[in-house]
Formats: sequence, C-alpha cells, structure tokens
Amino acid sequence: MAEEYVVVKDLHKSFKDFKAVNGVSFSISRGEIFGLLGPNGAGKTTTIRMLSTVLEADSGEVTIGGHSVKREAEAVRSLIGVCPQDLALYEDLSALDNMVFFGRMAGLDGKAAKEQALANLKLMGLQERARGKIAKYSGGMKRRINLAIALMGNPQLLFLDEPTVGIDPQSRNNIYENILGLQEKGMTILYTTHYMEEADRLCQRIAVMDGGQIIAMDTPRNLKSKIGSPDKVTLEDVFLNLTGRSLRD
Amino acid sequence: MRDKGDLAFALLLPILTFALMYGAFGGQTLFTATASIVDEDRGIYAERLIEGVDSIDGISVDLITAEEADTKLDRSDLKMVLFIPPDFSATLASGAQAELVFKQRGNGGQEGQILSSMIQGVAGQINQEFQVSSRVKAELEGRGISEDTIGVTVRNLLAAERQQPALGVDEEVIGGSPDFINQYLPGIVTMYVLFSLSMMARTIVEERRRGTLERLLTTRLNVGELFFGKFLSTVARGFIQTFILLALSYAVFQMFTPLSFLASLVISIIFASAAAALGMIIASVSRTEEAANWIAVVVTMFMVMMGGTFFEVTEGSVLATIGTVSINTYANEAYKTVISQGGSLGETWPQLVVLVGVAVVGLIISRMIFRAVPGSK
Repeated sequence: MAEEYVVVKDLHKSFKDFKAVNGVSFSISRGEIFGLLGPNGAGKTTTIRMLSTVLEADSGEVTIGGHSVKREAEAVRSLIGVCPQDLALYEDLSALDNMVFFGRMAGLDGKAAKEQALANLKLMGLQERARGKIAKYSGGMKRRINLAIALMGNPQLLFLDEPTVGIDPQSRNNIYENILGLQEKGMTILYTTHYMEEADRLCQRIAVMDGGQIIAMDTPRNLKSKIGSPDKVTLEDVFLNLTGRSLRD
Repeated sequence: MRDKGDLAFALLLPILTFALMYGAFGGQTLFTATASIVDEDRGIYAERLIEGVDSIDGISVDLITAEEADTKLDRSDLKMVLFIPPDFSATLASGAQAELVFKQRGNGGQEGQILSSMIQGVAGQINQEFQVSSRVKAELEGRGISEDTIGVTVRNLLAAERQQPALGVDEEVIGGSPDFINQYLPGIVTMYVLFSLSMMARTIVEERRRGTLERLLTTRLNVGELFFGKFLSTVARGFIQTFILLALSYAVFQMFTPLSFLASLVISIIFASAAAALGMIIASVSRTEEAANWIAVVVTMFMVMMGGTFFEVTEGSVLATIGTVSINTYANEAYKTVISQGGSLGETWPQLVVLVGVAVVGLIISRMIFRAVPGSK
C-alpha cells in the first residue's frame, strides 16, 4: 500500500454561522494526483487554505508528510507549493523577479532561487519573456507563471486550485504536460477544477464536495460506473448527478 | 523594493523635494529687496541718499516717476515707495529740517517695513554728516579752511568711525541659525514619513486583495514575520527618504553638526516607526485600497494641521490641546530642539518617549487586528 502523504480527518471550518467545511476526511498517497471537485461555494478553496496553513481549522486533524498542520506549520510550509485560483503575482515586476522573490521566501538563497526560476520558466516555455513585466503578459502566460511560482523551493506537495481557468488550449495543454511530468518526478498533487475532462484525464482519485462535505470519493472510472457504463458516462454526468442541476451562484 | 520604478521614485522624490527647497531657500539667508524711489529733487543730497541705499547688500534701487509710483501703489504692484521731495537738498543746505515721504499700501508689508528702516538708517547717516559738518564749519570759520576740505574730512572721519565703531555690537549665536530652512525642514521631513505610511497602507491592502499576502503565507513566512516584514519595510522607506533629505541639507546648507545630524537620524527612525505603526493599523482596518487611501489622507492631514508642521500652534490654545494627539507635534518639537535650537538628543527625551510609545502600542493593536487573509487568525 502506498504511503499516505496527506491525511485529513474530520476537518471543520465555519465563518460566523456559515459552515464552509463540515467534517471532511480523505487521504492522498505520495505521488498521487487527487482531484477535489465541487460547485462554487462547496468548500474546496477553504479546504486548501486550511491544508496550506493559511487558515486555521476549527477542529479536525491534518498531517502532511507526517507533520501536523496545526502544530508544525513551519515544517508543513517547507513541503508545499500553492498555485492559487486567483493570479497572485506582482504585476509591476518581471516574471523572473516574481519567481526569485517567492523562491527567496521559500527559503532558497539568491543564486539557487535564480537558477530554479530560470529552469521553471524554461519548463513553462517562458524563458524568452523572463524579464518582461507580468502586467504585459497574456492570461495564459500569467497562469503558467502562477504555476511556476508554486514550484519554487522544490515542494513535495502541490496545491493547484483551478490552475487552467480562462486560458487557451495551448497553455492548458502545456500545464497538463507539466503536471504529469511533476507527478513522474514523485510530486503529490491536490487538484481542484471545474473542467471535468481535465480531472478525468489527470486525477487518480477524485473527491466530490458539496455543502462543505465530501459526497463521493473514488477513482474516476468507479465514480462513472456508479451511474452507468464508464465508457459512455462522463465525469460531468457523475458530477451533475451528485450535486444537482440548480445554480449555486 | 524589487520594483525598480518604485525604488527610483522613492529615492528621487526626496532629492526633487530638496531641489525645490534649495530653489526656495538656497542662499537666501540675506534679505533682498528693491527700493522704489521717486527722486523729485535731483540734488546732491538726494543723490547721496540714493547711492547710500543702493550700496546696502541685497538692496537694489528702482528709480520711477511719481505717476508710475501712484499707479503701481494703486494697483498694489508696489507696497511702499520713497518720495524725495523737490526741495530736499536745498532745504538741508539751508540748515532747515528736510523730510522724506514714504507712501505705502496699508503698513507697507514686511518687506516695505524692513526697507523703510534701512532707508531711514541711510538718511540718519546723511543727517549726521550734515550736522557734524555744519558745526565744524561754524567752529573753524575764519581760519582759512575751505568748506569742501571740512566736508570731505568730516565724511572720511565718520566713514572710518562706521568701519571701526568705538561702541561695537557682537552677535553671540545660541544654537543653530533660525532661518527659513531650519524652520521648514522638520515639517517637510514629517510630511515625508506620513506620505510613506499612506503608500504602504494602500500597498498592503492591495496585496491582500491580489492574494500575494496569502501566497506569502504558504512560503516559509508565518503571519508574524509577514507583519513585521511589512512594518520594517515601511520604516525603512520613510527613514531612507528622510535620510536623503537630511543628508542633502547637511551637505548643502551646513545646518547640522555631526552630532545634531546623528540625533536627527535617531529621531527620524523613531518617528518613522511610530508612523509605520499607524500605517499598519490603517492597513489592518481597511478593506479596500480606496478606504486605506481616505483614512490615510484624513490621518495625515490631521497630523500635519494639528502638529504644527506648517504653522505655529499657540501654546495653551485649543488647537495645541488637540495637537497633543498628533505625532507630528512631538516629532516637530524634537527636530526643532536639535536643528533650530542646537539642543542635544537627551533634551528630546519627552518627545521620543511619546513616539516610542505610539510605535509600540500601535504595533500591538495593528498586530491584533491584522489579517493577511479574511477569516484567518
């Protein structure tokens, strides 16, 4: 049995009277790409924020790489990289400066940060524009930089919160290839997306969240087989079947 | 500070401000003015009076007609004009009392009053020469000495006396010179620090909205380190800008001794810390950049207006009482003690204690309410 790299037990988080996360439990094996799906407001981003030490859980236990998120937050932060849903970049700085800055914040020295920044820019196909200001980048380029920054400091666990929103097929494909390449190198990835075919293609297992709870969790094929033939049913069918067709926004 | 444009702007701004200060105050410790004179006499004593006024350092003479003078006074183009009446020289020569006329709008303004007293000084010297010459001539009458010889001898003797007077007046300087730059520099410095806190408060709120603060919290930084990093960068920005202003003032205006310069730097870093702590409170309570901007503007204006930055607040007045809650009041007083009054850093301890107190309490409050991410602790 593969080593459980992330273990989440009975996680709760409320904002005043609103229960954003209500008793979530799951685990992720080392080297696995684990998908967290759900409609808007399901609690995915809040879960990632708690796992990445940004928000403190009201109750529950999370361990990452054997370290408790609550008691050993610093050790956990040294293991993780986060690619947030919104583009968290310094627009007035160049891509290289952004990456070196976040690399330094991730604990790299100046030389190592620059070397790693250049390597990650090459990985994302952006080495030619390394010194261009982020403000002048296209949406797809910004998304790729957003992901490249998450790789600074060589994290072992990557949180990817909707990393392919609003970009062209070429940029999206580049990101897919890079994610699969990272997995081959042994990286563990927690992935959220609204694109079902993306989750089907990339994730070994998927948890579907709604109303702050996990309502289903299995491999994509097993989830599909629960409502029909896995070769005919899509993950989107499963998703709508589980979460309903009513609008959430 | 990785943003090179922002860095260049932050460093160039105090240099630009200093250039403006130099343009406004540089080399202007001497009073300069133009004396507008209407010479209706054109006689020997009028000529001597005009020469005397023109010979004063910083004063130039503009001879105009009576009509021009009246028109310009009427339009307030001039505030004061000296009229030398047509019979001025003849009256003096006859031994009768001659009169000069100053025409002015209102009280003639500060410049007019200074000019008037300078011209009266020159007229007094001429009067003295005339009186002494007349009496010496009367005493030496019938001894075969020409009037011209007596006149020239008396003038030379009086001129020598003025060069080396028997009764001298020495100036003993206590502390620095109370010139314009000394008066305004503390206000300019405190304004800079307050502007810097406004910019940082806005930047922190912007970073929170963009998510870069949240992203930084997923690196090795914890929220405490992030908070103090932002605080220290605000202090550094305000201090560096202040340092540039003070160093240029030291180099160009020679208004510091090495000790008073160091004392000013110590005051600057403490004041920048107090201001940065207020900036962190503003950043912590503001939800949008606009809110941060407005709160910072209101706070800055209040501090400046009530803190005696650009005008003196009368001691014991209501404004002075309100001003006790402005950190500018304490910073200005500390700067003035070391810059204008030549005091030591030790003499500013009451002000420094207040500023340190504001910095510490402000930091505690802002740390308690600071949230890098809404909903976080």
